[in-house]
Amino acid sequence: MDSEDDDFYSGEAMDDENDYYNTDDAAYADGYDDEDEDDDDDDYEFMEEVDEEYVSRQQQSYTVLKEEDIQQRQEDDITRVSTVLSISRVDASILLRQYNWSVSRVHDAWFADEDGVRKSVGLLDKPVFQFSNAKELTCGICFEPYTRDKVMSAACGHPFCCTCWKGYISATVNDGPGCLMLRCPDPSCRAAVGQDMINMLASDDDKEKYTRYLRRSYVEDNRKGCLRYHLKHEPYLPSDCCYIHFVYCQTKWCPAPGCDYAIDFAAGGGTFDVSCLCSHSFCWNCTEEAHRPVDCGTVSKWILKNCAESENMNWILANSKPCPKCKRPIEKNQGCMHMTCSPPCKFEFCWLCLGAWSDHGERTGGFYACNRYESAKQQGDYDETERRREMAKNSLEKYTHYYERWASNQSSRQKALADLHQMQTVHLEKLSDTQCTPESQLKFIIEAWLQIVECRRVLKWTYAYGYYLPEHEHAKRQFFEYLQGEAESGLERLHQCAEKELQQFLNDDSPSKEFNDFRTKLAGLTSVTKNYFENLVRALENGLADVDSHAACSKAGISKPPPASKGKSGRGKGSGRSSGSHDAGR
Amino acid sequence: MTSSSAPSRKALSKIACNRLQKELVEWQVNPPAGFKHKVTDNLQRWIIEVNGAPGTLYANETYQLQVDFPEHYPMEAPQVIFLPPAPLHPHIYSNGHICLDILYDSWSPAMTVSSVCISILSMLSSSTVKQRPADNDRYVKNCRNGRSPKETRWWFHDDKV
Repeated sequence: MDSEDDDFYSGEAMDDENDYYNTDDAAYADGYDDEDEDDDDDDYEFMEEVDEEYVSRQQQSYTVLKEEDIQQRQEDDITRVSTVLSISRVDASILLRQYNWSVSRVHDAWFADEDGVRKSVGLLDKPVFQFSNAKELTCGICFEPYTRDKVMSAACGHPFCCTCWKGYISATVNDGPGCLMLRCPDPSCRAAVGQDMINMLASDDDKEKYTRYLRRSYVEDNRKGCLRYHLKHEPYLPSDCCYIHFVYCQTKWCPAPGCDYAIDFAAGGGTFDVSCLCSHSFCWNCTEEAHRPVDCGTVSKWILKNCAESENMNWILANSKPCPKCKRPIEKNQGCMHMTCSPPCKFEFCWLCLGAWSDHGERTGGFYACNRYESAKQQGDYDETERRREMAKNSLEKYTHYYERWASNQSSRQKALADLHQMQTVHLEKLSDTQCTPESQLKFIIEAWLQIVECRRVLKWTYAYGYYLPEHEHAKRQFFEYLQGEAESGLERLHQCAEKELQQFLNDDSPSKEFNDFRTKLAGLTSVTKNYFENLVRALENGLADVDSHAACSKAGISKPPPASKGKSGRGKGSGRSSGSHDAGR
Repeated sequence: MTSSSAPSRKALSKIACNRLQKELVEWQVNPPAGFKHKVTDNLQRWIIEVNGAPGTLYANETYQLQVDFPEHYPMEAPQVIFLPPAPLHPHIYSNGHICLDILYDSWSPAMTVSSVCISILSMLSSSTVKQRPADNDRYVKNCRNGRSPKETRWWFHDDKV
């Protein structure tokens, strides 16, 4: 309720977190990895040379994995461990599960201390339980005697009948993912029970559950990440020649509801924005929707703020006063100072001094003033609460300003997405028909809409950024608002053109002469807007560092650094603007 | 009696019945030292008398264990508690609940009443001090209304006692 602890001065996060977007040491990986077995140390040196080549490339730093891809990778990892260690695939899978699916960790541990690993994981190389010569064996769970062909055991040899095995497996599988670490039921035995036994003994339902746990474990327990090596063919190299390329990869599920895809992400890829095949775009780091160029900290603060009650409280604080009798908050939106609380309270009081109305009248100044309030105010009695109310009001107004713009860009983007879809599915074909232009020649329209959708997204997040940009950083604020204003007005022109001006051609029955002009205009606006937004994104991603020198001098009391001097470093727009017209597009 | 007439007390399955009958026969032939099964006609609830082992803090003391078997015993663990008065022990609460991993997470269907009894006796015998667990009052308060110890999320941290 106290507006003083409102957090709009907490912009320090913005300066700290720029290294999320550090693109200098980018190591990109694309496509699927063809792993190679020889990861000798010499290859690392090799890699460093290669990295240089990749820095400037615009490549995807992630791969979307469908269910079969996940399975394929898992199988590949199992095969790798199984061949290198000369153990069965079932055992390899158990080992990998134990070591969070890191092939290299399995290898390291195994070659350092095979016996130790076998013991802790429960991979026995020979049975510990010796069968007697008796014809019959007693099941260790139901204690019934069975002939040998009716009992089964894990590598340890402890005999249990099939019914008991089934009961045991079904109980554990239905108990959760712990079943992936299944051991022999004998309490003194640590022998692992692998998928082969599950497949033999579990019901179809349970088998499916087990497989799902296994797949989930592969994606989720892999969190720590692992070093993958990719063989890269480069077009400028002979076809039998390729680079071995190392990247640090991690896997996460796509957070979209109902989406079963996972994303394999290569660290250091410059941006965290990821686009799943289900068309959901999200930030790899925080799994919120994509929010480049704004950092994750700002986004999470903003989202929390939007859903928090705090703003409601601020509103109540700013616009209402509690009834002096029943204490319910009362909003006064118009009228005189004579208030009557709603039933059952019905208390009549003065809005200004909150005293009973029975003490008021002509002598206290009438309905629109209150002498008691004025004199008390002069004595300083109301200062504290009034000041608080004033602060809350200001902070609320500021928040509302940014929130409205954030939200309207959000809905504008949704609308643009729908329009884009409409264009692709309905209008484009018709347009191609009436304007006698092949659809391939109409790509500029789709490109324009794609640009609009992307820009709306960026613009939306710049409002969250703006909200948290500290008030006292005048130079930065001014620079930011300038860039944002430019980008926004460019986008408005583009959006207007794509939305309204296109309409007339959709209504045409025959080819229109102006269509070519329209093409030039829309394509031009698309590219100009793209430029504006690239500038904006770049500037925000380096924390508006270009104005730092100006910020220093503005501290000395000069609060107006000339904006015209800031557009240096090749932005190409250094002139022709006045500091007053920043908000052109709003 | 803290008779936790477990909320979902279903009759024993056929497998559970067979297994318990075998356990009972085995118990009669070869009872674990220090324990006495009080004969009743209820196969689903055993009352077992425990005699503190000689030379330990609980020598010459007698307590009663109540063992309730679930429908799918032995795939599910039995519920084992001390009937009042429960022995004073750092892992035994005043309501009779016992903090012992094999009764919960580490239960295995290859364990038996007899092996559980032996574990409990060994837990008693290795105690060096007669006292309640530190959080006894809070825990017992939370367990009113006859909540089963199997609903508790136990955290086994002490493997010495």
